[in-house]
Amino acid sequence: MIRRGQPRASTRLIVAILWCLIASPAAADSQPVTGDAIVVGSIGDASRLLPILASDSASGDIVGLLFNGLLKYNEELKIVGDLAESWVVSPDGLTVTFTLRPNVRWHDGALVTAADADFTYRKLIDPSVRTPFSSSYELVESVEVVDDLTLRVRYKEPFAPALESWMMGIIPKHLLEGEDLNTTPFLRRPVGHGPYRFVRWKTGELIELSANPDYFEHRPYISRYLYRIIPDQATLFLELLTGGVDLSGLTPLQYRRQTDSAYMRGQYQKFRYPSFGFTYIGYNLEDPRFSDLRVRQAIDRAVDKPAIIEGVLYGLGAVATGPYPKESWAYNPAVVPATHDLAVAKALLAEAGWMDRDGDGWLDRDGQPFRFTLMTNQGNEVRRQVCELVQRQLRLVGIDARIKVIEWSTFVHEFIDKRRYEAVLLAWNLARDPDIYDLFHSSKTKEGEYNFVGYDSPEVDALLIEGRRTFDQAARTRIYQEIHRRIAEDQPYTFLYVADSLPVVASRFRNVRASPVGIGYNFIDWYAPRDAQRYRARMEP
Amino acid sequence: MGTYLFRRLLTLIPVLLWITVISFGIMHLAPGKPTDVSGGFNPKVSLEARQRLEQLYGLDQPVHVQYGRWLSRIVRLDFGRSFLDDRPVMEKIAERLPVTLTINAWSFLLIFGITIPLGVLAAVKPGGAFDRLTTLLVFIGFSMPSFWLALLCMALFGVRLHWLPISGLHSLDYESFGLVGRCLDTAWHLILPVGITAFVSLAGMSRYMRSAMLDVLRQDYIRTARAKGLPGAWILFHHGLRNALLPVITILGLSLPDLIGGSVIAETIFSIPGMGRLFYEAVMARDYPVVMALVTVGAMLTMLGNLLADAGYAIADPRIRVEAHR
Repeated sequence: MIRRGQPRASTRLIVAILWCLIASPAAADSQPVTGDAIVVGSIGDASRLLPILASDSASGDIVGLLFNGLLKYNEELKIVGDLAESWVVSPDGLTVTFTLRPNVRWHDGALVTAADADFTYRKLIDPSVRTPFSSSYELVESVEVVDDLTLRVRYKEPFAPALESWMMGIIPKHLLEGEDLNTTPFLRRPVGHGPYRFVRWKTGELIELSANPDYFEHRPYISRYLYRIIPDQATLFLELLTGGVDLSGLTPLQYRRQTDSAYMRGQYQKFRYPSFGFTYIGYNLEDPRFSDLRVRQAIDRAVDKPAIIEGVLYGLGAVATGPYPKESWAYNPAVVPATHDLAVAKALLAEAGWMDRDGDGWLDRDGQPFRFTLMTNQGNEVRRQVCELVQRQLRLVGIDARIKVIEWSTFVHEFIDKRRYEAVLLAWNLARDPDIYDLFHSSKTKEGEYNFVGYDSPEVDALLIEGRRTFDQAARTRIYQEIHRRIAEDQPYTFLYVADSLPVVASRFRNVRASPVGIGYNFIDWYAPRDAQRYRARMEP
Repeated sequence: MGTYLFRRLLTLIPVLLWITVISFGIMHLAPGKPTDVSGGFNPKVSLEARQRLEQLYGLDQPVHVQYGRWLSRIVRLDFGRSFLDDRPVMEKIAERLPVTLTINAWSFLLIFGITIPLGVLAAVKPGGAFDRLTTLLVFIGFSMPSFWLALLCMALFGVRLHWLPISGLHSLDYESFGLVGRCLDTAWHLILPVGITAFVSLAGMSRYMRSAMLDVLRQDYIRTARAKGLPGAWILFHHGLRNALLPVITILGLSLPDLIGGSVIAETIFSIPGMGRLFYEAVMARDYPVVMALVTVGAMLTMLGNLLADAGYAIADPRIRVEAHR
């Protein structure tokens, strides 16, 4: 262990020193300049460039630069105004009034008004529009355009997560009124109001955007944004090695072992911050073995989470203690992860009646050995490896876990939705708002809903509803930290880890900083000093 | 000849119909739905929202109703719209087809340009040094996984030597080039994908060519030609090659669907937006309209290729022509 740990510590130091050498003087004494292009490498292509239809991550990346919402998260995960200059929630929590920034223009010159926001809402709830996001607006009673810059939204009941739903990109009424949104040519030639303008899209190859000189915050420094579609991980990495790509994500293996060459350290700045999500083992709580809290607690103690993080993620992750990551204000710092302790685990299992009575090395009760199947989906190498480690660790306490890897669609429809599983290994990517009603409320257990483990706690149910009705931040923090604590205690899942996001950015770009929301939050402030610029800027129209 | 072709064409219709029924059935038997892509396992997308999407795409109807609707559109040559991005399927295919056609046409030219002389020369002295050397080489190509070879070549020619681009079809500044510049740029990007696609397929064709040539060279008329004292090269290429090309016509005909069906692996590794990736991505996303369109077009081309090969025989080989007349 020591021999393995040693070089890693020193490389970390070198990286840190280099990073300081590259980053700090530049940030201190050079003035941001416009120009250059950034080439972003992506595994997948976009499908529809309209915020209310953009459900895949590639479409989301592009749409995020073309359109803004009324609100957004700042780098500290606080909700701040975006297109809305300010907003007021009425004391009863039933009305939200947004005041829009004046003089924000669409890329075609028209003004962005409250009518556009109203139009966006109407299209979101229009049953003929193929948007998957309609459910966030079900509690809206009415939306009213008070004047050009004022929008009033009334709710049927107080709904705090609603603020997050107004981060949806606003779409242009004057261009889309009367169009069939499902098939309009706009989907491939969008006109936004955001920091970048759409230039061209060559399907499966490239999407090009250019800086919007009239953007209301300021003109973005990087003149061109080129989104290259490179569907193969290995190719994407080779492109990094030749400088063909300026921004991309790394795998833990690449981060630790394959990016320490002098070239890579000179050309790229590596970042590391926790992703917003967690990997877990979910139990079928209808199964009499797993409905016993002591068994779940025993597994929680038998599974060595730091070893999993070290072995599979090369240390690039953190132990998850409950449904919220450390970066979230809903995270409860008082919850400590259960220590890895085989003796305690065995004692808990014995208390639940599981002992090795026949001496075959496996626990048994009523003549039945403790044997279950741990399922996960195909195509995710990390999850398969985690399953294998869990299997090995459970063997030490006498539990026989069998692993089954199944194609994603089959896995979801035939096993999870129909609850034909004993335990699954999966991960959730979470929204920034901590409302996890859909995952843990006892009403969300129908086929196809997300409380598929069948968690049912009246206390948590009540807290989840209270959290939705409370706007006061201090009160919400209390409620969600309590939810974090209770769920950690009840263990409907064994929370395993929060993996790190590992992006690299070409080192010629300055002002790139990691924050709880990632590195992209200040993208319009990134710039490359004149003498380091690589691509000539395209002629502005 | 005319009635022969017409009769053959008629028999193709039920075959085509069956192919579509079976592939439609298989696609729908596969677990998962097109709506999984936009809303599967995302807590922001509720069950009701997903059911609404299914209804909008007509996926709540029984399979035979869905098939009937599809068929009635197909006979009007309407291939529908993709579930993935709601664009007309034909538009998506038209966008990808030229890329795949270009790559495959060039690699076909390369394959035939190399394997025909290779096979002929190997057949002149079977078991000789040249025969053995080429056999070794083509089988190295045949037994090497193409993705692995591709990655090695990318690492060598792209990363180490900087001679060739690693992936993609165009440089980033392609739009600002002149016509000649654009052609050169594309050609430069195509060297690796075309070269590798061709290299791994050399074995098959050169073996066909060699054995066909060996067969022909054993024939009496070749011996007669030699006895007449004709020059060796003349015998080989005028008498030998023309006859040895007959089986190659069959293969050419059967290769017609390959011409438009790209290779998933090569296109993925080289980041080329071709037909192979279109099909693969459509299957993974359960994008039924795109999958069905590609299957139908592929089946049609396979049958057309068979027909053309038969017709080619009829032209090249009088015996078949006579039989057809009877």
